[in-house]
Amino acid sequence: MKRDRRNSRTFPWGRPAAAFVCLLIGASLLAAVLCGPAWAQQHGVSLFEQIGTQGSLIPAEDWIDQAIDWIALTFADFFDVVRSVINNINRGLLAALMRLPVWGISIGGKAVAIPILGLLMVPYLWWASTKWTGIYGFVSLWLIANLGLWEATMETLSLTLTAALIALAIGIPTGILSGKSDIVEAVVRPILDFMQTLPVFVYLIPAVILFGLGAAPGVVATVIFAIPPAVRLTSLGIRGVPKELVEAGEAFGCNYWQLLFKVQLPMARPSIMAGVNQTIMLSLSMVVIAALIGSGGLGGEVVRSIQRMLVGKGFVAGLAVVFIAIILDRATRSVGEKKM
Amino acid sequence: MATIGVEHVYKVFGEDPEQAFPLMEQGKGKAEIQEETGLVVGVQDVSFRMESGALFVIMGLSGSGKSTLLRCINRLIDPTRGRVYLEFDGERIDVTSLNKSELREVREQKISMIFQHFALFPYRTVVDNVAFPLEIQGVDKATRREKGMEILKLVGLDAWAESYPPKLSGGMQQRVGLARALASEAELLLMDEPFSALDPLIRMHMQAELLNLRDRVRRTILFISHDLDEALKLGDRIAIMEAGRIVQLGTPEEIIVNPKTEYVANFVEHADATGVLTVTAVAKQVEVTKEPPKGLGISRMDPQPAAFAEGDGLVICLDADGKPIAAYQDEVAMDFKYVTDDLTTVGDETVLLAEHDTTLKELMRARLATSKNPVIALKEDGGLDGIITGQEILLGVLEKGRKEEAE
Repeated sequence: MKRDRRNSRTFPWGRPAAAFVCLLIGASLLAAVLCGPAWAQQHGVSLFEQIGTQGSLIPAEDWIDQAIDWIALTFADFFDVVRSVINNINRGLLAALMRLPVWGISIGGKAVAIPILGLLMVPYLWWASTKWTGIYGFVSLWLIANLGLWEATMETLSLTLTAALIALAIGIPTGILSGKSDIVEAVVRPILDFMQTLPVFVYLIPAVILFGLGAAPGVVATVIFAIPPAVRLTSLGIRGVPKELVEAGEAFGCNYWQLLFKVQLPMARPSIMAGVNQTIMLSLSMVVIAALIGSGGLGGEVVRSIQRMLVGKGFVAGLAVVFIAIILDRATRSVGEKKM
Repeated sequence: MATIGVEHVYKVFGEDPEQAFPLMEQGKGKAEIQEETGLVVGVQDVSFRMESGALFVIMGLSGSGKSTLLRCINRLIDPTRGRVYLEFDGERIDVTSLNKSELREVREQKISMIFQHFALFPYRTVVDNVAFPLEIQGVDKATRREKGMEILKLVGLDAWAESYPPKLSGGMQQRVGLARALASEAELLLMDEPFSALDPLIRMHMQAELLNLRDRVRRTILFISHDLDEALKLGDRIAIMEAGRIVQLGTPEEIIVNPKTEYVANFVEHADATGVLTVTAVAKQVEVTKEPPKGLGISRMDPQPAAFAEGDGLVICLDADGKPIAAYQDEVAMDFKYVTDDLTTVGDETVLLAEHDTTLKELMRARLATSKNPVIALKEDGGLDGIITGQEILLGVLEKGRKEEAE
């Protein structure tokens, strides 16, 4: 049993050793702060100027540039396939969303748009949340349509859903593996930490180099940004299944898949659905940022407004993002707790 | 029917369990080994074999290794050394040598389990919980539902079939757990402290229900408990565990009357022995002579007694086989009544006869309803064993039948 081992693992030398290392680091820092400037003055050098003139000791920038160039060339075919898959999913979703008509009626000589999607949302949001959420869903989509942002909003929505779908398709299985195996967890965890803490703008740049312009690089950057909660919350959910329930499954003869589908996943469902919700919300926020590399949608409107200093236009597009965010959140938040 | 056998089973938790064996051979204890190596000895050299159809109780405090031992039997925990085998009408399965899929098959069909905290699936209805083992066995939906309802009726919960487990009380939830374990049709039942999480009153009720159910569905049950009273009440045989080893194994009475170690004696001290001790354990021996006591006119007797015994003013006449045929107190002939007879209309001129397996509790109740005369204890063959007065009963209650030590 894997868990037994963890219980008995003891490091009798762990605590004193850690204390000693901390003390050593602390002492050297103190020495550097106190004696450093005096030492530099005495030898007539300024440490930081010296580095500035000679270039950094580790030219990591060059290495990364070279690595990305090499990857872009070597795996060009692979990235082409990924790009066309992403573009096709996105185009398909967008086409489906745009196929739902927006009715135009004339009231007092003015054209009023009534989006069918808004009407379709009402019963779902009612079921997933409350009837007020249903009404809210219709009103906000009606506002978006009549603010003239329908097309941009649908673009954002399809980008968000594309990215979220891909992120979940990768994230949930990874989360299951990492929930079931300590080794996978140990490998995956630092990667997720890296993905979550690296500033989001940073991986927009290689995304453009690898995937060209258009929807694909934005979606890829968004997927990277949105995967961690799906993995983490799935893993957490699987690990949080009471030991006795797993034992019960095993004691009645479940195999690996039966245990997963009949015991672990149903028990982990609320946690996994929280991960789905988080992934979708992160996708939306990143899709807006990805407009910086030309993925369009509401983010595109915002970027254009920044460039031309159009306060009103930018603000209205931002509001539409908020409307969509609230709809997406309410549509996925409490589904995990419902009995199905 | 089925049985479980365990031979020299060890379970050592930790990185390199083999390290612990030389230390165990040196006779070092669990605490010492943990100190030296960081290894935890869960089970140490345990062997026993259940009777087919029996209810075998493993009793011990928490940390004594009883739950680990139970899990070694269906290999939820793999034993470090030793063999576990199951027997089904002559067919013998060596559990410890099974591969993964064979083991799964055994768990699916041969052996089922009940858990301390019920381990019901909260997202399944009660009937779907009960039918879970059938689902794993691949039984079709209609059949397993029908079967599930049938078993729910057996535990009296058919009205709750469509509820979800968290809505039920603890006692009801454990009845669902019991029903689920019965549903798999496995002849072997492992019960891991099934009633420990219940209120005392519900627990007593469930114990009675288990005994009742056991008469209706034939199962061989291995039961874990930390409560000696529960063990005494339920077990045909009891194994008492301390620090990973079985320190005593015997019938409830053997354990009460003759605790082998101080650890067991401590438990027994606080247990209620009256439901376990039989008259055999407390009866006072009386001298048997061929000579009739003075003043007793035996000439009128028919048949003629072959021997006589006397004690506490009671003269007992015996036939040639040593069976009591008449008794006199102060030269007055007494009526014989068995403890198990209807005792509502007996008078003072009655002497009770107690068969060898009558418990003290039964005897006390019978005596309360009738006279305070000494009771005649019988052997298994019906012959005179001895007599029991109030003093013997008190000694039995206080000293748990250890007469020699008490005197």
